[in-house]
Amino acid sequence: MRALIIYCHPREGSFTAAVRDTVLERLRAAGAEVRVHDLYRDGFQPVLTSAEFMGYLDCPANQAPVADQVRDVTWCDTLIFVYPTWWYGLPALLKGWLDRVLLPDVAFMMPTSEGDNIKPGLQHISRIGVFTTCGASRWLTLFIGAPGKRTLLRGVGLLLAPRAHKVFAAHYLMDSAKEPALQAHLRKVARKTDKLIGAASSAEMAKVASS
Amino acid sequence: MPNAFVLFAHPVPGSLNAAAHQVVVETLTGKGWDVDDCDLYAEGFNPVLSREERESYHDTAVNCTPVQAYVDRLRAADAFILCHPVWNFGYPAILKGFFDRVMLPGVAFDLQDGKISACLNNIRKIAAVTTYGATPLRAFLAGDPPKRLFKRAVWGTIRPEKMRYIAQYDMNNITPDECTAFLSRVRREMEVF
Repeated sequence: MRALIIYCHPREGSFTAAVRDTVLERLRAAGAEVRVHDLYRDGFQPVLTSAEFMGYLDCPANQAPVADQVRDVTWCDTLIFVYPTWWYGLPALLKGWLDRVLLPDVAFMMPTSEGDNIKPGLQHISRIGVFTTCGASRWLTLFIGAPGKRTLLRGVGLLLAPRAHKVFAAHYLMDSAKEPALQAHLRKVARKTDKLIGAASSAEMAKVASS
Repeated sequence: MPNAFVLFAHPVPGSLNAAAHQVVVETLTGKGWDVDDCDLYAEGFNPVLSREERESYHDTAVNCTPVQAYVDRLRAADAFILCHPVWNFGYPAILKGFFDRVMLPGVAFDLQDGKISACLNNIRKIAAVTTYGATPLRAFLAGDPPKRLFKRAVWGTIRPEKMRYIAQYDMNNITPDECTAFLSRVRREMEVF
């Protein structure tokens, strides 16, 4: 199992950092190979520039500005996002990671003939995990339609292997959250991560059995 | 004159979205609106909410200091119009960052005991003029996050009298005629806005 964690929070010591550490601990305990991109710490630049937009379809030159990110997206078989939900969606920094890294020929193939749709390009990724925290209540988030969750699980999800394994966990009403609830949430994150790991091991066993 | 705050987020002047933005500004100006045209790329807007901003996010006495000029422009507006492409089923990062950094507690909404109330009572009309690479079906399957964010979250935060969502889908397969039709539609919508 090769897991890529995209982590996005401005403050070390946040609850989101604890979620990241829980995910990391479970993955390492299971012997997975793990790479972490900490977008704030790394000073990732989220704004797709006009030069990048003009060269968007020029593959593979379009990958050059974000080559280190593309390398790890191509390497992994499991993609995990850990971030706070702001305005019902991804922090701008994380949204910019999608804008700049999920390029044609990396994440999808452009239509080749008229009327065609794009084709998925991340079929080597068979597992996705989304772990977030929301200031809003679950009810309000669902009423708005959880745009952040949909952007990742459905938008990015459409580009992954067919029937990719998906897990999601969110803690709501963060501003009034109490310690026992937070601890319970970390246990939930651990369980969900274990589910991803379990899906990986059963897939590998099936591969061994069929070979 | 009524004031329209137009928030534009596309990096390339030759794009269809930029053309639509031009039509919005010209049509509204022609109809007697005072247009405040905010081009986030041209203004070099930094969309990343910093650690310090995160720490003072809920402190309404100081949270808007780093973005005061943008807050003032929002508060002066009678209409708020977004002009942007949809990338990866979401706003371009530079626009999402405007929500993260400028649409703050005390500016866009008040938070009391977990209850949200509207704050931007000056804005009476909102519109989004947007271009999708995705087909309508694909956007529907993904749950169309940017449309939901606009029609539910932005609408709910501002509670305007009028809301328009003007979208062109399937930009990968668009013909010149369809581009012209889209721009005419934007012009008609803005004329009666």
